[in-house]
Amino acid sequence: MSLLERLRRGHLGDRQFARLWTNGGGDPHLESCARCQARFEEFNNWVNGIGEELRADADRAFSQERLAAQQAQIARRLEGLERPARVLAFPRAARAVIAGNSHVRRWVTAAAAAGLIAGVGLGQMLDLRRSLDSRQMAPSTVTHLADARGHAGTVLPASRSVNDEDILSDAEAFARPHVAALVPLEDLTPHARDLMDRPR
Amino acid sequence: MSGTSAALTAAREADASAASAVKALQAQGSHAEARERYAELVARHQRRAGRIAYHYLRDAAEADEAVQDAFVKAYSHLPSFREELPFDVWFTRILINGCLDRIKARTRRERWLLPMSSVAAAGVDGVPAERDLSERVASVGPSPEDALLTRERRRRIAEALAKLPQRQRAVFVLSHVEGHTSREVSAMTGLNESTVRVHLFRAIRRLRSLLAPSAPAEPAEVRGKRRVTS
Repeated sequence: MSLLERLRRGHLGDRQFARLWTNGGGDPHLESCARCQARFEEFNNWVNGIGEELRADADRAFSQERLAAQQAQIARRLEGLERPARVLAFPRAARAVIAGNSHVRRWVTAAAAAGLIAGVGLGQMLDLRRSLDSRQMAPSTVTHLADARGHAGTVLPASRSVNDEDILSDAEAFARPHVAALVPLEDLTPHARDLMDRPR
Repeated sequence: MSGTSAALTAAREADASAASAVKALQAQGSHAEARERYAELVARHQRRAGRIAYHYLRDAAEADEAVQDAFVKAYSHLPSFREELPFDVWFTRILINGCLDRIKARTRRERWLLPMSSVAAAGVDGVPAERDLSERVASVGPSPEDALLTRERRRRIAEALAKLPQRQRAVFVLSHVEGHTSREVSAMTGLNESTVRVHLFRAIRRLRSLLAPSAPAEPAEVRGKRRVTS
């Protein structure tokens, strides 16, 4: 039946059939028109046929064996839900080395770091102190040029002249043993300076 | 029809009592008994769940996994199940959400992978290889011609269904293939009842146009041969 003829006679089309099929209810024309009733019957069969085909297709994919296997798998998974997850322990030795020592190692590392920081700090302080001492000593030993210029014509003698002989004699005196029993032993021991002074 | 609805009511009552019993057993800590009782629910809804998942995912193995996941999830969330909602509606919602997650994951995966898997799955003539294997086994069923026609008809229907937008497809499968009412489909999908009916109407119209007899599809074998010779 052509669309034009259908419209002329007021017959129902697929759209109306689909609406009737979806929402239910009746249609005045459908109740009176045998032709539309037949077509609607055919439409109904067609939709139901699709449903049956789709069901059959899916049922073929899920055979009885497959469903039984699926059921067993679900049962296994449900059983597994109640068991807490197993944690595999490391070997004893590995645990002793890694887990047991990590705490101690952390403390040792922290102590070493603290010692290093304290050492560096102390060293810095000592350096600072030494430099301050040397600054305090400097004005008495060094004759400043500016002062010399300021007192033109007058030469200011240094309070204490520093020369190599004094330093060496101080060092030698310091190097000599202070215990009397060791002095003879010291005299017997050759010194590098004596060896160097000896003519070749 | 009244017989069907009476059977449905009886089945739902059985579901409700089984679900309540499982909840109570879970609360008591009798897990073995709870599992045993839950197996009843699994057996009752397994096939239907498989059909829904299959129509969503179009892959038997993936549908199988989706069904398993849904049953396991439903069991662990059973304490939050409200008895005023039928168990099948609640469970189907879990299943559909799982299927949608899988579809999303698959789409992401396919974006990065070469379409080799689809080529392998589709077989030579567009029919999944898995099916080909089962169909090669000699059977005492319908004749080869009938089997071919049936297969072809199902393939066309499946293709047409796959062409529907996701919501239309879901509504059509749930309401027509699984026989749920608009209200139940609304509860399962989270859509309005009127929206469900609109989707169903559109799905039928689209299927009608896709499967119109004016554009008959050639059997897959013929198409396959032509593709080879051309």
